[in-house]
Amino acid sequence: MKAIFIRSVLQLVRRPIYWVAFFILPLFCFMLLTSLMQEGLPSQVPAAMIDKDGSSLSRKVTQNLGGMQMVDLVESCNSYTEARHLMQKGDIFGFFLIPENFERDLLSGRKPVITFYTNMTYFVPASILFKTFKTTALYTKAGVAMTVLESVGASPLEVTPLLLPINIQARGLYNPQLNYAIYLCNSFIPGVLELMIFLVTCFSLGQEIKYGTSVRLLELANGSIVKALFAKLLPQTIIWIVIALFMEAWLFGVNGYPVYGSWFWLTLSEIMFVLACQGWAIFFFGVLPNLRLSLSVSALLGILAFSVAAFSFPVESMYSAISIFSWILPVRYNFLIYIDQALNGIPVYYSRIWFVAYIIFMILPFTLLWRIKREMAKPVYAP
Amino acid sequence: MTLLKQLFKVYCHEFRIVIRDPGIIIFFLFLPLAYPVIYSLIYNPELVREVAVVVVDNDRSDISRQLVRNFDATQEAWVKGYAADLPEARRAMNNHDCYAILEIPAGFGKRIKNNEQGEAVLYCEMSLLLRYRSLLVASTNVAQAMGAEILSEKIDLVAPLAETIVDGDLMPIKNITMGNIEGGFDSFIMPGVLILILHQCIILASGMAGGAKRERPSLIGYDSFNEQPSVLMTMFGQMLCYITILMVPIIYLVHYVPLMFSFPMAGNLFEILMFLLPMVFACVGLGWCFQGIVWERESVFVLWVVTSVIFLFLSGLTWPRYAMPGFWKAISDCIPATWGMEGFIKMNTNGATLAQVSKCYINLWILAGSYMVGAYCVQRWVVRPSVIKGFNAYDKVKSRSI
Repeated sequence: MKAIFIRSVLQLVRRPIYWVAFFILPLFCFMLLTSLMQEGLPSQVPAAMIDKDGSSLSRKVTQNLGGMQMVDLVESCNSYTEARHLMQKGDIFGFFLIPENFERDLLSGRKPVITFYTNMTYFVPASILFKTFKTTALYTKAGVAMTVLESVGASPLEVTPLLLPINIQARGLYNPQLNYAIYLCNSFIPGVLELMIFLVTCFSLGQEIKYGTSVRLLELANGSIVKALFAKLLPQTIIWIVIALFMEAWLFGVNGYPVYGSWFWLTLSEIMFVLACQGWAIFFFGVLPNLRLSLSVSALLGILAFSVAAFSFPVESMYSAISIFSWILPVRYNFLIYIDQALNGIPVYYSRIWFVAYIIFMILPFTLLWRIKREMAKPVYAP
Repeated sequence: MTLLKQLFKVYCHEFRIVIRDPGIIIFFLFLPLAYPVIYSLIYNPELVREVAVVVVDNDRSDISRQLVRNFDATQEAWVKGYAADLPEARRAMNNHDCYAILEIPAGFGKRIKNNEQGEAVLYCEMSLLLRYRSLLVASTNVAQAMGAEILSEKIDLVAPLAETIVDGDLMPIKNITMGNIEGGFDSFIMPGVLILILHQCIILASGMAGGAKRERPSLIGYDSFNEQPSVLMTMFGQMLCYITILMVPIIYLVHYVPLMFSFPMAGNLFEILMFLLPMVFACVGLGWCFQGIVWERESVFVLWVVTSVIFLFLSGLTWPRYAMPGFWKAISDCIPATWGMEGFIKMNTNGATLAQVSKCYINLWILAGSYMVGAYCVQRWVVRPSVIKGFNAYDKVKSRSI
């Protein structure tokens, strides 16, 4: 066992590819995702104003809109076509149109229409613009209605509840600023880790078969596949656990993403996550004991995980035939435990099933060890 | 050998290599053909509908019941049931049975009847922003629609003359979404992802071809015994071979996939293909540079697959480029996918012409040129010498693995 362990460490140290896979790529992704979205929300969305009226009221609307934190009125256009061209070129993400004779029509009750356009091709900036444009339009409307109502004799105190008799306040629990970094980094970064664990586990096992060194591995383990795999993968497990704990410290410590629950369960989840990913990788290596095919499956599952594990689009909205695949990915459980234990901070009782899922991933490879042993005893490299 | 003869020889040789290597064929054909379909199917429901909500109604008046009914009737929300109090609702949320709690306080209906404002609170669980977004839309729409009804009922009591003025909507507000007009998630993310898939499959395939060449060059006819065509002609021949093979996948990706899943298709196919040409050049160039660090066929997986995530974020699709820190923006400038995705999205979804995306187009040509020069250097001084010297990565790696 000791001999295998040392041999395995030497293999990892001697080949630069492992250095890249263990440290450079994951750490690069950690830094990239967290620092990219540092601001939380992409404020100051470039937008344009088309003021065809040019009255004091329309100028006031422009000023109000320009004063909003989330919008940056970079252009003022004369026509719809001009604004549309700017949008197609990507200079602006939306525009606000005040029609001709807006003030005059409004005061004489001819119901002028305010229109705003958002480019939903870019989801995030467009959603922010939509919200800001709508707020501005509603404020304008309320201001006008107030003037009209007061002019016919309603008292200002009565007017406000009249204009908005029902108010539903939507409160985002534990992430009230809609911080995008909290939302994306905590799911995508473990996703990167899962992908790398899949790839490295299959790569290192497949290499033994490709170069025919698996025979020696089995010899050293006295023919016991359990011993062989355990000692071979142990150095990797240790490195991955260190990286997973670093990830936890990086996300919740250095970047200060919220942990409203218990650090203990969160840490346990990260450690079990590493083991579950390794277990799952060994399992599908057992199904396809071929270097290239097992790596293809790792890549397929690892990359699809970012979508099918429902980090952005909810599982219950997917087709049911597709959504079942989200449950065969360890990172899905990592995400659910993070939501329960860190973001929402609820009792661990509610997350118990997710922990059991980790354990199932760890047990799975034992069902196919015989197959891996057979391949390792008579290694054949098929490209 | 004349240049043309060299070129033809390389072209045929490369074609044979690609067709005989199942690994490369997977990257060139399976990846671009199957991946977009799997991916699009995941997001194909497009909108997040019927998000489960539990109601705590402490008022139990006709208005509060009306509010809940209207809320349930929206496309976005689904009232799963009532809870007696907040702790019970909280338990349902902890149990993952609902994603929001609508709490209506006692006296809600009375306040509205007394011309005061009735306030309800919607507590949303924030694990997914799309769910929150749907609920926000539903609650705003319901509050406004009911508010307008109440206003028209009450206006007479407050200001008898006002009805004539505030008859109907005083100042209609219209919102028009452009490009991705239904605001679907699939139509938003997939056009970009299609280009990213193309980008990655070219680089993975050429990386694997390079690995095969360096691993056991003699197996695929590259060694010091055969006369080798010049580096430039080899590159040129390979490029032609790759483009021939990619023709079908590219047209499938930019035309048939959007057609199948009814994504927006506002662009001109010919212009889009013209636009993608420099991106393909740049990708092949980048793939050849990548060959410099690929020693064996299978390393491409370990070294390159994760870059899909990196490139997706750097492209500005999820986090817009204007808000990126300068350092990351500079890195994203150097990636062909950034410009390819941006230009393609503008053309395909917003109907921009080639002239309107000239910035992306010019940048792609610059990248194509730079990567080709880099690729020439890598091929000339790294890959070629190792092939000529009979360098055998297979034996070298094997000696390190025992």
